[in-house]
Amino acid sequence: MLYPIWLDISDIVTNVEQDSRVQFGMGDAARLGYEYIVRRFNRAVINIASIALGIAFLSTLLMSDSLYRAYALAGGERLGVETYQYWLMFVALIVSVVGITNAMLITVFERYREIGTMKCLGAMDRHILLLFLVESIIQGFAGGVAGYLLGLIGAILSTGFTIGFTAILMVPIAESITLLLGSVALSMVLCGVATLYPAYRAAKLNPVEALNYEL
Amino acid sequence: MSFDTIIQIEKIAREYEMGGSKIYALDGVNLEIGRGEYVSLVGPSGSGKTTLFNLIGGLDRPTQGVVYIDGVDISKLDAYELAWLRCRKIGYIFQTFNLIPVLTATENVALPTVFAGVPRDEGLKKAEKILASVGLKERLHHKPGELSAGQQQRVAIARAMANDPAIILADEPTGNLDLNTGMEIIDLLHGLNKSRGMTLIAATHDLKMIKASDRIVWMRDGKIEKIERG
Repeated sequence: MLYPIWLDISDIVTNVEQDSRVQFGMGDAARLGYEYIVRRFNRAVINIASIALGIAFLSTLLMSDSLYRAYALAGGERLGVETYQYWLMFVALIVSVVGITNAMLITVFERYREIGTMKCLGAMDRHILLLFLVESIIQGFAGGVAGYLLGLIGAILSTGFTIGFTAILMVPIAESITLLLGSVALSMVLCGVATLYPAYRAAKLNPVEALNYEL
Repeated sequence: MSFDTIIQIEKIAREYEMGGSKIYALDGVNLEIGRGEYVSLVGPSGSGKTTLFNLIGGLDRPTQGVVYIDGVDISKLDAYELAWLRCRKIGYIFQTFNLIPVLTATENVALPTVFAGVPRDEGLKKAEKILASVGLKERLHHKPGELSAGQQQRVAIARAMANDPAIILADEPTGNLDLNTGMEIIDLLHGLNKSRGMTLIAATHDLKMIKASDRIVWMRDGKIEKIERG
């Protein structure tokens, strides 16, 4: 069996230890990320709200469109969502992403010492990167679900007054489930993308400087 | 008392560039530290203690010279091996404790075991055991903010011991503590050094800490001024 080269060298360092690789997997990152979200809930709420609003906008428009189509199929007048509304949605999503990047950058600054400490305890750059990305993607999940529900309410309210609330019953279940999954997935991707730069900054921190940093 | 060598420092220098001029934080330091030894590093701030610490801990690389730990030149280690060294071989204790505020005492102590690949339950169980051994049996599930300074430093000591490291690096461990609490921490560290045979290297101004040590290394201007037997 072929061993990677680092295993050979560190065997000399340890003499006894078999597995000489520091470990920190997705599960560990998820658990720690979850703790950070739960115990620093206020900051997480800002992030979640930010992405949820963007996603709510998106799902309001798409859901309204579904409702209009269902209404048209049932013999009603063909109504639609205006193109400029999609452009507005696009801008809203970009604003969400920028907001999250900003909030995560502040989070990284707040945790300078913690990042330095973790590096002292054996964390590698990639572990820190993973930790921040996973934390953000969990927030993206929450924001996606919240945004979808908000969007659903928004769509029902905005279409209900023009085509009547009975149209809700006509929307195919499959379509709304697709929209839910799509919203959540998009939200998670956007949060991940928004956090790439802050997480990279955190990962590249020099532990010596990070430990001496006074906030 | 004689010790076999665990850390060997050969002619290390560490220079920094500052506004175009070079500053030597360390300038040609030679030092050998034995396994199980208790060494105090003493000197005014800016004398190079912390730089020496960072070099031993693999947090920083020397501009010249070599640091051997257990006969291995640590400048030859790659990122994986360095992380592993910091995780399994070395325990850090800081003046400002540096506990993770969102985690409980037990979780803080278990954190290094996560990186070491120990299963979660096992790591937590071990953390509880170590915390009990430093006298914090009643504080297992408290967060750092709910603990006194002395208790926080105990948690930090427990965390440093989590992976049974051979070397403990303590940077001014009593610097933020009052007299009595500092005394307790010194006793605790000294006890661990003697009972577990962990090599203890402490940077300190604290006379009581200095008195307890096997050797005292006096530093000034990036050089070793003198070495005394404790």
